[in-house]
Amino acid sequence: MRLKSKHRAGALIPTASMADIAFLLIVFFMVTISFEKDKTQVTLPSTELRFEIPKEVATISITRHGQIRVTKGEAMSTPAQMEDVLGFASDLALQYPGRAVVLKADSDVPYEKVDKVLDSLKQARVELIYLLSDAEKVADDGP
Amino acid sequence: MKLNRPSQDAEIPTSTMADIAFLLIIYFMVTATFAATRGLDFALPKDDDSPPIVEKEDSVLIEIQPDGQYVVDAKAMRLEEIFDYLKPKLEANPKKPVILRPQPNSNYGYMVDVFDTLRHIKVRTLDNGAREAYQVTSAQIREAEEQETDLGKDVNVSIPTQREIDAFWF
Repeated sequence: MRLKSKHRAGALIPTASMADIAFLLIVFFMVTISFEKDKTQVTLPSTELRFEIPKEVATISITRHGQIRVTKGEAMSTPAQMEDVLGFASDLALQYPGRAVVLKADSDVPYEKVDKVLDSLKQARVELIYLLSDAEKVADDGP
Repeated sequence: MKLNRPSQDAEIPTSTMADIAFLLIIYFMVTATFAATRGLDFALPKDDDSPPIVEKEDSVLIEIQPDGQYVVDAKAMRLEEIFDYLKPKLEANPKKPVILRPQPNSNYGYMVDVFDTLRHIKVRTLDNGAREAYQVTSAQIREAEEQETDLGKDVNVSIPTQREIDAFWF
């Protein structure tokens, strides 16, 4: 028995495993996270009814000034013109058949622009569209 | 110079590792919760080969004016009145098409408001065979999804685009 080597062992809290636990948590978050592919700032319309949107979706965003950004859901969104949307939607339908499209349009955008985007999506035979929305504001003191 | 200490254990300082890891965790948690991932779903007609033939007389037409006024079958209405107007029509014919026609310069938000209202309306068949149109809450819908119960049929909403209107309507 070699007990005489150290006469005073300092009180230690074992912190070595802390990093392991933390990294496990990081891995969990990294696997579950889905980064927002489109970071456009828009004031979304608010709805009472809101359904969960699947993770793998294409996104088309329209700002209040009519600027459009599109992404198929793999890379970050890129700016596009209204005329490009039909091409984008057709490509999408070919590349990822059945993938839903999220329309992230500003609540104040003139309907005309949304109409053109919807028309392109219809022509490209996209089957499912999600209208991205915010939760309804409680007790709006309107008229 | 005290260089003559016999053998010191080589140690890698790992105590800061946990700090770095927790910082990363916080970063991932913050970015994960900010993504908006909810909205209204809206199924488009599956086959474009058969154009959506909507008979104007048979359907309910909801027009949205640029100032946010709703005109339902040529009568101005508030959002809350639409259900009362649709109720008898839907009970007579649950498949009655409701057409949304926002004016080009009206706001997108108004269309979403009406669409949201219409999505709350369901038509169910009662035990005595009669049909009833009623409004559901989002809590009821969530509950029905979990328990896989049937709340009834959705309203048949169509939002024709300007091109379709030009091509098929007039």
